[in-house]
Amino acid sequence: MKPVKNFFDSIRPHFEKGGRFSRLYPFYEAIESIFYGPDHVTRQGPHVRDSLDVKRFMTIVILALIPHLIFGIYNTGYQAHLAAGLPLDFFPVFTLGLWVVMPMVLVTYAVGFFWESLFAVIRKHHISEGLFVTCMLFPLTLPPTTPLWQVAVGISFGVVIGKEIFGGTGRNFLNPALTGRAFIFFAYPAQMSGDKVWTATIYNNNAAVDAVSGATPLAIATLTEAPERIEQVLVDSGYSFSQMFWGLYPGSIGSTSAFLCLVGAFILIILGIASYRIILGGVLGVLMTGWLLNLLAGGSSLAWLTLNPFYHLVMGGLAFGLAYMATDPVSAPDMENAKWIYGFLIGVLTVLIRVFNPAFPEGIMLAILFMNLFAPFLDYFAVKTVCKKRIPNV
Amino acid sequence: MNLIRVRKGYNIKIGGQPSEELLSISRPGKVAVVPERIPFIKPRLKVKQGDAVQIGSLLFEDKRRPFLKFLSPGGGTVADIDIGHRRVIKKIVIRLDPDERAVDFGFLSESDLVAISRRDLVAKILEGGLWSLLRALPSRDIAPRDAEPPAIFVALDDLEPFQPDPSVYLQDQEPLFLFGLKVLRKLSSRVEVFARQATAGVLKKLNGHITGQVAGRYPADDPGVLLYAIRRSSTENQTWYIRGQDVLLLAHLLKHGNYPTRRTMVVGGNAAQKTGHVHARLGMPLAAFRPFAADGMNTRWISGGVFQGYPTGPDSYMGLYETAITLIPEGLHREFLSFVRPGFNKPSYSRTFLSWFNSSQLPYDSNFHGGLRACIACGHCAKVCPVDILPQLTFKAVLAEAVEEYLALGLMDCVECGLCSYVCPSKIELSSILTAARREYHQEQSQT
Ligand code: SF4
Ligand code: SF4
Repeated sequence: MKPVKNFFDSIRPHFEKGGRFSRLYPFYEAIESIFYGPDHVTRQGPHVRDSLDVKRFMTIVILALIPHLIFGIYNTGYQAHLAAGLPLDFFPVFTLGLWVVMPMVLVTYAVGFFWESLFAVIRKHHISEGLFVTCMLFPLTLPPTTPLWQVAVGISFGVVIGKEIFGGTGRNFLNPALTGRAFIFFAYPAQMSGDKVWTATIYNNNAAVDAVSGATPLAIATLTEAPERIEQVLVDSGYSFSQMFWGLYPGSIGSTSAFLCLVGAFILIILGIASYRIILGGVLGVLMTGWLLNLLAGGSSLAWLTLNPFYHLVMGGLAFGLAYMATDPVSAPDMENAKWIYGFLIGVLTVLIRVFNPAFPEGIMLAILFMNLFAPFLDYFAVKTVCKKRIPNV
Repeated sequence: MNLIRVRKGYNIKIGGQPSEELLSISRPGKVAVVPERIPFIKPRLKVKQGDAVQIGSLLFEDKRRPFLKFLSPGGGTVADIDIGHRRVIKKIVIRLDPDERAVDFGFLSESDLVAISRRDLVAKILEGGLWSLLRALPSRDIAPRDAEPPAIFVALDDLEPFQPDPSVYLQDQEPLFLFGLKVLRKLSSRVEVFARQATAGVLKKLNGHITGQVAGRYPADDPGVLLYAIRRSSTENQTWYIRGQDVLLLAHLLKHGNYPTRRTMVVGGNAAQKTGHVHARLGMPLAAFRPFAADGMNTRWISGGVFQGYPTGPDSYMGLYETAITLIPEGLHREFLSFVRPGFNKPSYSRTFLSWFNSSQLPYDSNFHGGLRACIACGHCAKVCPVDILPQLTFKAVLAEAVEEYLALGLMDCVECGLCSYVCPSKIELSSILTAARREYHQEQSQT
């Protein structure tokens, strides 16, 4: 690794104080620190420091998301081939998926990194690795048909409005990836909703996506009317519970597989990165709300009310949102008991939005953003209780 | 005997634990006092270069509280007064005569001690220059002269890596220690002696005097942590404390009538080629410890332990409160792709390295292991804090100068243990920020 080290050693002086490009130091530091950790040493106690840094913390989240990216690529190609009536061999399916998804990922990273660097240089801050997680999450929440310019606009909005104007990572109270996602959802409804957007069309093949095979399970559920049961209609459309659990159905690129979310959440919890309180709280919120609605269903014409609550967990982006977005520590509450409530309410709100507001079938996005806004209040009360317990010493 | 369990805290898996072996060290040619490492004082010099001094001669006093006297730990000539930036007195060096003479303060027999009034005893300790060994919570300033404390805590152990073992420094000193306890009992009607469970088992001769056993990880045996664990009301907040070894110094002064010079110290750390306990002198030059440092290695010298000690070097001297030299490798290297290594060998509080499964000693050095970032709200600092402060909120309140808020969050209960800074993945100097705010607040309070 000598050449790499020599390369950095030779250009570092230009970026350090007094160097020609010293203003670009945050940018330089972001690149160099990918290869080499800093040589800074402590000047006061504690003289030793933990090996964990933000870079590793965020890298682990990114690694947990990689299976979603790979599966998303496959699923995108798969759904496109299925809709066009093409054979479903692995290789062409995957190549097509790559062709659709990778440009979106690359655009997200390029644009996101641009904004982050710009603000870092202006503010003389370091570039926070949280950005790389944001840029991984964002494309995974998009429909595969999103035009690249919208991808660029969305991530710009997410990074700049969702984060930088509040002072950058650590001070933002909204999850930046979700902020961007929500922005393009409301700004470009035509490209973000309806049945056609969830399946990439291919090779200028004019065969229109067949409405049924293109509809997401959430859309189907919303269209179902009692006394028909959503479970049955889904099966008729080819979406069994297990298929939705594994994730091979049309939806946002990376968030269809509840199975991968389960694995990812499990890993992040074991490694102490994601809060199990938020995730379990969320699952409880979903199941309890679903079950309460079952009790209320009576003779209502709303098929949603009778849905087996477990279906909520495997449909759409709920599992993805709970595992990776709700657990974003910066926009979640700090206090452990507030995290339970926060997760729980996200679960409750998601189900309520799905059931009672069919205009936004993807309730998880709004539920998390809404609870992001409330996190400081939850903290406020939790901190107050903690402070009350302390015997004052002033 | 009470058992006090402290739930939080953390032990690092650092090597170089000092053995119980007593190593010998030659008599130094010089000793020094290091005023800059005594918190809350502004020294007014009472000697100049070339003055002859005895063991126990006045060197300087505190400007604000002139009754706080700091005496010479050696007899000879004032060889050097090192005045640094902003006229801070860095050190006062005394070249030792071959036969040192000592100031006679007059001794107290056991019966004298019973008879003496509290006021006279206080005056005697002040005169003998050792009042500064008594410290007051929550500020950790030197105890106020005129107050009677709700209690005095004696901490025999110190879990910080590394500090002397009570079974070594108390060896054959038990009678002196018990004399010291009697002195303390004159100062306060409630004297509590704390030791770790293991220590209490070894110190048979102190049976009946140890009032509380402590179980837990670093810094469970810190007096501030113990107070937090057992206090019932805010009247106990101003409890005083003194460390076990300092009880011996105090007792020596009163029992023998002269200023004590002996310090039992440890040399340890994973960059020490030899570890152990040493009977050294107060104000010992650190150069005497050079043979303990591993050769050909870039070494960080720490006066004190890994968490709370001061960075120093072989050209410095032991401060009044310091009882340890800890040597660790200086971490000046850049590590290639450090953030994706499995890290079977990389110490971490988190579970993000394979070292989680590694129970052996791990390599620690002075590297930050990461760049400074904004707080990512991981919550690790709050999980280790032994006194349940929420450091991530408290430091933000301090930076925002929200006084009410950081006091309510418990800033003054902070024991300055440094664990929060140790675990922080964003490498924020939490404990230094909090410590500075604590001192500033206390100073403002004591001026009004
Ligand atoms: S705030 Fe930090 S330094 Fe203070 S007691 Fe807690 S962990 Fe120790
Ligand atoms: S350990 Fe550091 S990054 Fe984590 S919550 Fe505390 S201050 Fe923030």
